[in-house]
Amino acid sequence: MHVIKGATLYTMAEAGVTRADIAIDGGKIAAIAETIDIPGAEVIDAMGMVVTPGFVDAHSHVGGFGGHGEQQDLNELTTPRTPELDALYGIDPTSEFFAKNLEQGITTSCLVPGSGNVIGGWGIVLKSAGDDRLIKHPAVLKAATGINPKGVYSKQTKSPMTRMSIIYLLRSYLRDVQDYMRRKEEAAADPEKQAPEFDLGLEHGIPVLKKEIPLKVHTYMHDMTQVVEIARDFDIEVTIDHAQGASDFYDTLSDPHVRGVIFGPTAEPLFPGEGGKLDPECCAGLDERGIPVAVMTDGPITVKNQLIFEMGEAVRWGMDPVRALAMVTSNAAHIIGVEDRVGTLEVGKDADLCIWTALPSLATDAVLKRVIIDGATVFSEEA
Amino acid sequence: MLIANGTVHDGRGNAFPASVRIEDGVITEVAPDLPAREGEEVFDATGMEVMPGFVQAIGHWGVNGSMTEIRPSSQDNDELSEPITPELEAFYAFNGRAASTQQLGAWGLTAQGVAPTDNNLFGGAISVVGLTGVNPYDLLIKRNVAMAASVMGSMRDAYGKRGAAPQTRMWIFTHLDEQLRLAEAYDPKPEEKPNDKLAALKPVVEGELPLIVSCDSGVAIAHVRDILAKYPKVRFVILNGSGLTGDEDWMVERGVSLIVRNPSSPLDEAGAPAPFSWKAVAKLMDKGVDVALAGEYSNTLGAREDLIWNAAELMKELHDEERVLAAITSAPAKILGVEDTIGAIAPGMRADVCVWSANPLKTYDAHAVRTFQAGEVVYAEGDEKTCM
Repeated sequence: MHVIKGATLYTMAEAGVTRADIAIDGGKIAAIAETIDIPGAEVIDAMGMVVTPGFVDAHSHVGGFGGHGEQQDLNELTTPRTPELDALYGIDPTSEFFAKNLEQGITTSCLVPGSGNVIGGWGIVLKSAGDDRLIKHPAVLKAATGINPKGVYSKQTKSPMTRMSIIYLLRSYLRDVQDYMRRKEEAAADPEKQAPEFDLGLEHGIPVLKKEIPLKVHTYMHDMTQVVEIARDFDIEVTIDHAQGASDFYDTLSDPHVRGVIFGPTAEPLFPGEGGKLDPECCAGLDERGIPVAVMTDGPITVKNQLIFEMGEAVRWGMDPVRALAMVTSNAAHIIGVEDRVGTLEVGKDADLCIWTALPSLATDAVLKRVIIDGATVFSEEA
Repeated sequence: MLIANGTVHDGRGNAFPASVRIEDGVITEVAPDLPAREGEEVFDATGMEVMPGFVQAIGHWGVNGSMTEIRPSSQDNDELSEPITPELEAFYAFNGRAASTQQLGAWGLTAQGVAPTDNNLFGGAISVVGLTGVNPYDLLIKRNVAMAASVMGSMRDAYGKRGAAPQTRMWIFTHLDEQLRLAEAYDPKPEEKPNDKLAALKPVVEGELPLIVSCDSGVAIAHVRDILAKYPKVRFVILNGSGLTGDEDWMVERGVSLIVRNPSSPLDEAGAPAPFSWKAVAKLMDKGVDVALAGEYSNTLGAREDLIWNAAELMKELHDEERVLAAITSAPAKILGVEDTIGAIAPGMRADVCVWSANPLKTYDAHAVRTFQAGEVVYAEGDEKTCM
């Protein structure tokens, strides 16, 4: 048992921002109270410090791409429709980039196939360290629109060479899943009817159609309007990932089928086409409209404190610093569907938390002192 | 015009309440309570922070290439026909409009050293330019201020893979030494056809033009140190900072400066994060080494946030916003030899000024309210952040 004493807690839950102690037991948050003294418990002195939930990175490829992008175990670029694939098999959980995650406070990541394919496969949620790392599988079905799939398959003169084909492929896949489900259900209800032949790719779409997991779509600018139309037509949940230019489409994104928007990575040059608008002010704009918003590293090839700087840019362009913190904690956990385990400091949640010298979404010189996952210290600042 | 009643951070370590008078694109007065003259435009900066425009010591803004042009083509500062091209000028790669579309003023940037890529042993001359405008000659602050060199392992990818030299580090360091030796000995007779390469390197070995050497490891930095020990007049600058430990007292003794580029993203040969330490940078600063920050790491365009993010990294070590501000204003200006023109708020300096809602070195809750480049407004709060 551990007790963290003396810190200001950013609980990201009902308790808000509060000066309190935290007791950790069995890898879970056991108690939060103004003063906790438990004989025999190990005390972590955090007097004057800030404690936040461990950061949740809502979109990453850590463990699946090499540092130079040469190892591409999350992009199977042989055919654009690969829903049968599973990021679990593309991730090396021993990758040293998980240690880099810890250095910026990231304790949990949604790790997904790349965006070379229109339908990329299942994504998972994995912690950066610990003994019980895989906390959701499947977590999402990854999809992509725009220049990424187009860029891959144009070179091979194969469909999709255009945005027309991309949207057609997305729609026809979801229609196939619908049809497959209907035939399975009919066969289950009526022994006269024959069940469809088992199809792993269509099986992987069933949790999407049942709204158990979202379709996680790499989308920029106007492409997001078409993704929202698809979500409505098939009554599924989508997440809008990257979302550059989201500030042009607030009305479209205010839709119950949009589980959330995951903006970023923000430090990119502008270039004509889908990269022509980079609007960090959309984080504040989406949040004000009640649309859950998060940010991402899109790791592993990022600067060290990518997630922190993305919060910082959101604050620079109008977001409240505590709301910005939600983008890497409670909002992110909700959007990737692990809010029952992580993303807030509440009794019963996993004891995944970070101890800082100051609020990292506001103070540029906030230093990360310690990271705890499942109650165990997995990073501490070198002296 | 008058930027009235703000808190001025002069970029040289001082902060004080003052108004700043700008006439014909130049700062003419910096003093508290300057009364506005009749007919003078006044920008009320009460409660705001007035800083020099940020200077990106090495940058590729405005350089066109495959991503930005109608046909696939090489980047204009990346002459990969041969690895020794000191006779070239990066200024010719610079397109004002291409830089302007990136809205760098929204993040306080007003000047850069436009440089060749790291793919050549000697890439060519670096020039200092403004970042918002059209005609490159109007944007030019100072031409050919330094020579770009590189001993990066990435040169092997650029040349070695197609069977050309360099394929090895042996070649890179041998020819660094050899070219400088030849330049030192270069003494053309009037009737001789000049050797443009050696003529371009001559001012480097004479100590007239600083040499900025892009290095990717501690070993590379040590080789550069030892080779340049043979050429005592050469004034040199280490670029990047990977591999430094902070114990490099020889940098102080020789007067070597450091330009730090996007240190967290570069990767070592195995694709692992390179050994870079902000603690080492802070230690060298404490010893008196001039340190400037830059943005993107190497041969890519980078992002307009890079410089201010790197400043935040340095804040985590120094906890001193005036010293960190110097690293993105007066220090790069000094390293590039333009400290009498940009990088500070003082009478006589070019009016490159950014007015912030709060101190962006200290808090993320700080945005540019108005950015001036040579006295002209290049960003005003509310401008849309798009290039389309």
